[in-house]
Amino acid sequence: MAWRATVFLLGCLSMVARAAEPFGTDLNGRPIEQIAPAGAKAVVLFFATSDCPISNRYIPEIERLDREFAPQGVHFWWVYPDPGDTAAVVRRHDEDFQIHADQVLDTEQRLTRMAHATTTPEAAVFLSTAAGLHEVYRGRIDDRYLALGQERPAATRHDLELAIRAALDHRPAVKPGGPAVGCSIVPRNAP
Amino acid sequence: MRFLRCTALALVGCVFLSWLHPRRTMRAAQVPADPGATSHSAPPAVPAVTWSRQIAPLVYQNCATCHHPGGGGPFSLLTYQEAFRHGPQMAQVTQSRYMPPWLPAPGYGDFLGARRLSDEQIALIRRWVASGMPEGDASIAPPPPHYDATWQLGKPDLILTIEHPYALAAGGTDVFRNFVLPYPLTATHYIRAMQILPSAPQVVHHANVLIDRTASFRRRHPADWEDGIPGMELELDAGNTFDPDSHFLFWKPDTPVLEEPAGMPWRLDPGNDLILNMHLKPSGKPETIGAQIGLYFTPEPASKHPMLLELEDDRGLDIPAGDRSFQVQDELELPVDVDLFGIYPHAHYLGKELEGWAILPDGRKQWLIRIPDWDIDRQSVYRYRTPVFLPRGTVVHMHYVYDNSEDNVHNPNTPPIRVRAGNRSVDEMAHLWLQVLPVNTAKGSPDPRLLLEEAWMEHRAKRNPGDLIALYNLASALAGLGRYAEAAADYRQVLAANPRDARTLNSLGAALENAGDSSAAEKEFTQAIALGPDNCDAQFNLAELELKRSQFAQAAEQFRDLLRNCPADAGAQSGLGVALLGEGDSASAEAEFEHALDLDPANFTALYHLGEMAIESGSPERAVEFLQKASAQRPDDVDTRERLAMAYAQSGRQADALTQLRAAVQLSPGDANLHALLSQVLSAAGQLQQAIEEQNQALHFEPNDADGWNNLGVLEARLGHTAAARADFERALQLAPDHAQARANLARLPRQ
Ligand code: HEC
Repeated sequence: MAWRATVFLLGCLSMVARAAEPFGTDLNGRPIEQIAPAGAKAVVLFFATSDCPISNRYIPEIERLDREFAPQGVHFWWVYPDPGDTAAVVRRHDEDFQIHADQVLDTEQRLTRMAHATTTPEAAVFLSTAAGLHEVYRGRIDDRYLALGQERPAATRHDLELAIRAALDHRPAVKPGGPAVGCSIVPRNAP
Repeated sequence: MRFLRCTALALVGCVFLSWLHPRRTMRAAQVPADPGATSHSAPPAVPAVTWSRQIAPLVYQNCATCHHPGGGGPFSLLTYQEAFRHGPQMAQVTQSRYMPPWLPAPGYGDFLGARRLSDEQIALIRRWVASGMPEGDASIAPPPPHYDATWQLGKPDLILTIEHPYALAAGGTDVFRNFVLPYPLTATHYIRAMQILPSAPQVVHHANVLIDRTASFRRRHPADWEDGIPGMELELDAGNTFDPDSHFLFWKPDTPVLEEPAGMPWRLDPGNDLILNMHLKPSGKPETIGAQIGLYFTPEPASKHPMLLELEDDRGLDIPAGDRSFQVQDELELPVDVDLFGIYPHAHYLGKELEGWAILPDGRKQWLIRIPDWDIDRQSVYRYRTPVFLPRGTVVHMHYVYDNSEDNVHNPNTPPIRVRAGNRSVDEMAHLWLQVLPVNTAKGSPDPRLLLEEAWMEHRAKRNPGDLIALYNLASALAGLGRYAEAAADYRQVLAANPRDARTLNSLGAALENAGDSSAAEKEFTQAIALGPDNCDAQFNLAELELKRSQFAQAAEQFRDLLRNCPADAGAQSGLGVALLGEGDSASAEAEFEHALDLDPANFTALYHLGEMAIESGSPERAVEFLQKASAQRPDDVDTRERLAMAYAQSGRQADALTQLRAAVQLSPGDANLHALLSQVLSAAGQLQQAIEEQNQALHFEPNDADGWNNLGVLEARLGHTAAARADFERALQLAPDHAQARANLARLPRQ
């Protein structure tokens, strides 16, 4: 019964077919064909830019979620949609911020379009099913930033965490409580 | 020559700070003519907004000071590619006036470095972004400004470095931390400029530097001061002299160097600490926070003495959970004319609307500042483009509104809780600091800063009768103004609440002694000493009292005891010398004076007595050395100038001797002895006519001085004025019939 209801709700969200083209490249330039490893229950895309201050301030929070949910079958990807974030730039950024995670250079912004992401930092949660990936959440990580320049001392509502838990429990996904705040993803026709 | 040690305890809040004279390192961006813009003929469409023509100059002028590589902003905006990357945010943040950071409302104070963009500038950015952020003709773009992250005024005279850098976590709430940087030099220096170089400027939101005159903060944290102490505000013990805080030493990312106005350097003495209070914002990566403070010296001491005043209402802060409009206020009437140089409003996260204004004596209201939407992250010291003149009788007002509802996004408590004043970021504050320079001070009137201190502390003590620090400071100001009886009454009030406070007992003793009641003073000093072995000031004052009463043995004993408790006390060392001198043991005394100079080469008492001893032992050149230094310490001390003149005269330097004596006569024109001395030196220099004039002056003030008449007679005789000389000698003999010299001189005069 519960399962049915969930499927029904998920039906409202987009169903993603397996991409014909790779999703992007890793830091060694190798194409990434598959973002849901075998056995993964859910996939989280974290959209980041190397020089966006708010995006960077969320790094510890994303790492916390990764540590907590990876053992439960959630796979995290750090996605860099800005063409300026080349492999060299991101590698340097990884060193500075001590990031150890799977990363995608989304140079063609295919993941960005697939998730409908507009901002860094922003996150998308996909359920991985036999039929493919279903996006169940897309939006802010938490409510620390309400607008540029309107910042709480600490978050009071952890939207992304709630969404991941809901997905794992096959509960209906929560909606983000407010807009994602940070740096716009400038669409691909960049200079 | 005796100086009582009175203590002035001034509390300093979250202070700061100094003149910010932003040094513009960028070349002026000019809008070059765009040849392409006019070559199109009709229709005169709205010209395209391009990076090269309008946006680059605007960004270079208003954003690049922070947004450059290594700057305080999170990314660079120096190139077209960089601006393109952040274009949509640029439109957003300028529209909302989040950038450039600037809190004061326009029209409520005319501030230096105001960063507010005009509506036209904001519209330009919006149009540029809306039209796809075109670059335009790159060849007409101005060259990007150049910044370098090193010392802006060249190598500083002194660089202080945080010994133990602080490890800032990648995430979490903001951190407020205080680092102690001891001043390592053994001489006083005057600071004309200061630069702070944080190792990671992007996480340092702002920084305050405080001067801890007594190293009180370090002593309060003996075990961990080297690692830095958390806290937003701190209280420092201002120590033994009235030396109010005078400068805002406030740093923010785009003002690398704080240069003081001419005549207004600040001072560092041996034993002072600088405390660097930093507001750190985690960036997402672990950071090691170090910092260097570069100081630039000037040999000139301050000729203008500004002072920081504070309005505050921390006691009024008791904000119920959920209250969206909680108000506090304070006001202070100025007892003297001042120029207001700068203003620093301060609250924590619940502050919403911060206002300061003045009601002038004629009833007019003058706005000083208005911040309609407070944000602690963007706090600053604001300096007026031209100082604001506030005449005596002006009442300065502070009025702050707080929002403790959950609609206040900055609220650190969810759900909101009752909040009171405190030093943590979940507590609140209500402070308005003013930097004022007293002006129009009449000659001979008391130090106007003492009058300001009196008004300020009296107001605080009235408002909060439990504020013993205010009461103590009020008493100290009164003592400084010479109103000893009032001072003593206030000290007694402090003691009524706190009978075992050695510092107040000592200050009361000093006030009583200055009021002429030395036996009452002795009682207070003795009581202070009885409270513990570390009350060296009271011991010092008691010993000095004994010196004054010529109780030399007792004084020597007291000084020796003091030196066991406070071994490096040069004042006690030289005091012991004076006591030994009184006992007739000049060899031991000399050794003590020399020891005092080892501890403090500027110790006046030791310099003076060593000089005097050198004169007596026939070493005038050596005396000159000591006495010159002594006189430099106390240029207004007539006695020292007189001794120095004597040493010069004995070294054959008549011209120098004359200069000193003339200066001394200027300081003390009614002193017969000085005129007589001047007369003698003039006569030795062969200037007999002037010598006679000076001797006449001396006799004018002391007409019954037989020696003086005799000396005048000698001078007259040397000029051949026999009749006058005869009258003088006879006058001397009238006053002292057995004056042998006058009699002999009279006999030697040629008979007529
Ligand atoms: C006084 C220094 C300063 C100036 C001048 C300044 N900025 Fe900033 N800016 C900052 C700092 C610091 C931040 C980071 C704020 C934070 O995240 O706490 C920032 C952040 C930003 C952001 C990102 C917003 C965010 O929070 O992610 C944008 C966009 C921006 N500034 C644009 C501008 C523009 C456009 C101008 C000029 C019109 C400008 N700034 C002038 C210091 C400055």
